[in-house]
Amino acid sequence: MSLTLTAVGYRYVGTSRPALAGIDLTLAPGEVVGVVGANEAGKSTLCLVAAGLAPATIGGRLDGAVTVDGLPTAQAHPYELAQRCGVLFQNPVTQLSGTAPTVWEEVAFGPRNLALPLTEVVGRVDDALAALAIAELAERDPARLSGGQAQLVALASVLALRPAYLILDEPTSQLDPQGTRLVGEALSRLVAGGGTGVLLTEHKTDLLWGLAGRVVVLDGGRAALSGAAHAVLADDRLAAWGVEPPGRVRLARTAEAAGVALPELAA
Amino acid sequence: MTSEAPADDRHGIPAFVVRVPAGPYRSLNPVTKLVIALSEVILAFAIGSWSGPILVLAVVLGCAAIAGILRPLWVIAAVTLPVVVSILLVNTFLYPGAKDPIITVGPFAPTWTGLAFGVQVTIRLLAASLALAVAYLTTRTDDLLTELERRGLGRRSTFLIGAATETVPRTITRAGEIVDSQRARGLDTEGSWWKRARGVLPLAGPVVFGALTEVEERTMALESRAFSAPGRRTMIRHLPDSGVQRWFRRALIAVLGLIVIGRVLGALRWVP
Amino acid sequence: MASWGPEWKGSRGGGRPEAGRRELPVDWLSRQFSTRVIVLIPIAIAINIVLGATVQQALKLPVYLDSIGTILVGVLAGPIAGLITGVLANLIWGYLLPAPIGTTTIGPFAITAGVIGLLAGIWGQLGLFRPRRQAAGRSIAGAIVAAVLVIGLAFYTYSRAYASATDFQNNTGFDPTVIDQSRVFFLLIMFAFVALISWALVLRRDVGAVYAIGAGLVTGIAAALVSAPIAAVVFGGVTGSGTDLVVAAFRAAGDSLIASTLKQGLLSDPLDKMITSFVVFLIVGNLSTRVVARFPNGDKLVQLDEPAPELPAASSPLPPH
Repeated sequence: MSLTLTAVGYRYVGTSRPALAGIDLTLAPGEVVGVVGANEAGKSTLCLVAAGLAPATIGGRLDGAVTVDGLPTAQAHPYELAQRCGVLFQNPVTQLSGTAPTVWEEVAFGPRNLALPLTEVVGRVDDALAALAIAELAERDPARLSGGQAQLVALASVLALRPAYLILDEPTSQLDPQGTRLVGEALSRLVAGGGTGVLLTEHKTDLLWGLAGRVVVLDGGRAALSGAAHAVLADDRLAAWGVEPPGRVRLARTAEAAGVALPELAA
Repeated sequence: MTSEAPADDRHGIPAFVVRVPAGPYRSLNPVTKLVIALSEVILAFAIGSWSGPILVLAVVLGCAAIAGILRPLWVIAAVTLPVVVSILLVNTFLYPGAKDPIITVGPFAPTWTGLAFGVQVTIRLLAASLALAVAYLTTRTDDLLTELERRGLGRRSTFLIGAATETVPRTITRAGEIVDSQRARGLDTEGSWWKRARGVLPLAGPVVFGALTEVEERTMALESRAFSAPGRRTMIRHLPDSGVQRWFRRALIAVLGLIVIGRVLGALRWVP
Repeated sequence: MASWGPEWKGSRGGGRPEAGRRELPVDWLSRQFSTRVIVLIPIAIAINIVLGATVQQALKLPVYLDSIGTILVGVLAGPIAGLITGVLANLIWGYLLPAPIGTTTIGPFAITAGVIGLLAGIWGQLGLFRPRRQAAGRSIAGAIVAAVLVIGLAFYTYSRAYASATDFQNNTGFDPTVIDQSRVFFLLIMFAFVALISWALVLRRDVGAVYAIGAGLVTGIAAALVSAPIAAVVFGGVTGSGTDLVVAAFRAAGDSLIASTLKQGLLSDPLDKMITSFVVFLIVGNLSTRVVARFPNGDKLVQLDEPAPELPAASSPLPPH
């Protein structure tokens, strides 16, 4: 049981250059895999392909195979994929349906769509709100939330479908520092709870240092490097691939260059 | 006849979601209010030329009084004032073929026929607009859509209407920001006709491009929340309806049908 | 024309028939649409209202641009989507928005707006909004034919509408004694038509502009024809906008109510719709293939001599919807 990409290539409609090529990736339940790379390296495309939105919702040509717990995404309906793979994007505003007067009803949007029994819907909403510790926002108007809060509500409405895997495409890039911290803490809590496989695309490599077990570096649509998070994030070639290493790595290098010995920082 | 039991906390639904509307007239089922408003509009046009509009206007004002919304209604009526003035002026002075002038001052000859026609059109317009305004002021869009969905409106149509009413104010604000930023970049809003025409595209462009990007993001967000799953969505909210209201709606529609048929067949010509 | 495969369209339709009692006709219609079109329509309605109100206030031009969203949806997603956008936009603008922005006189013109959207969908499906840059002789010849057809239609309409001072419906030909009125207005509109096309060609060197502007002219004429009875019957010819003065002028000259509203409409609607169609044409032409392709009319809106993407391999068929 895993989310598996095998020799995956993808080309958007109307383009001739492939956005992804030769990608092999496996995400197991409970695992956190980080994806880094320069802009246009294919990070967002990878998220769309892994979630099955490409090609199911946006068309395009998929080579290779993507399977989620055995279900090939090329043959699946978007609503089947949504129950296995949740996706969170960057812009908190466009992910809210805009038709729910309260956060509670916004989170209920997904379970309602699946025509689940009423008690099931209520249970899932309460669970999702509790998992992200936003139960106190339940009565609020989603349109009046801060960026970080809105992003958490969007995440809750995805979690309400109880997906086994969660794909996050730079979830904090449009948030202010407070929102980033809010979402980062919620993610840590979620990951610590275990069970959900997480694919996290980020520029903020500091975030990945603490969360990810493995990291993949994308360059020009291909996987340039893949391995244990701390090893990959400390690699010298990151800058060449357009990725800024985490703060502690830069600190360690600066110290080394200056000949200063630093005490071992806790990982 | 009692209403079906509305959803309550026994299912664990919080009270702020249940949100049963209260107050005279407001507490009527949204569909009832909608049927009343649409009937009023049709009747204003279907019955006679004076009696229909006056009767409907009286009923509308009565309902507004019961609901306690006379003041907001007056504000809405005031917005139609320029139109009303135009209608009266144009028709009084320029009704072709009228031969009963009120007064003749040089080339200007306002006529009684024109004035009467203008007043008639005005009352009809007011009756129809205010009927819809009463429904608008006493009903939340979300409540109406919930009731329509319970009666069979699909999730796509519900979403369409709900999103349309929500998107507009938001886009207006953003467009205001775009106009300001374009002005700062030199968009000419005061210059010659030609310059202003050239300014259309830098204004329309960003608004539309931004909107289309938003379309992609929102589409993917909806699909990720199983929007295209089959079947009818689970209903959470349930607004009270009663047997009395049901029969009232049916009776009203039946009477409406008779009147419209009568009007079409010319049976109502005697009505003033 | 190259036929590009199903990889263009992403998810079409979407959702199986809703199982449950009494599916309303509006649901059957909306079931024809993908989620993307359902999302597009409210946003296009907002564009209508925003550009309609803002452009008038900020730029103070004598055109409305309040059907730009409707035409855009029709061109991108087809006739029914355009129809729904137009109707819904007017109903919401007229009846659902609070007072300062909402106007009471726009609701009944939902019929006109529906027609505009419907026609835009047809033009889109006919490929009239496709960019045709660096056109070969065949394109230019086609554009000339289209322009001639449109001019002919306009001539016929204007000569009939303006010929009789009383009721244009009873007219069987054009009355020589009042031909001046029809000739003047026809030439006015033709001047605008040619001026706009010339500006477009200078600006963009894109023969497709001729088709788009011509389509706009036809749409404008149709809109005027549909609006005239509505303005006359529902509002007595007065809708509270500046055009009421024009209507009044015609009535002072002795025209009936419907004739007056028609004559006023035929002056302002074609101009407005030509400009709006041209703006939509420019916008669609500037969109990347990637964005346009995902809409139902996508393959008809992209310049044909771009390299066509390979047809998809059998391994990635679209999910059945």
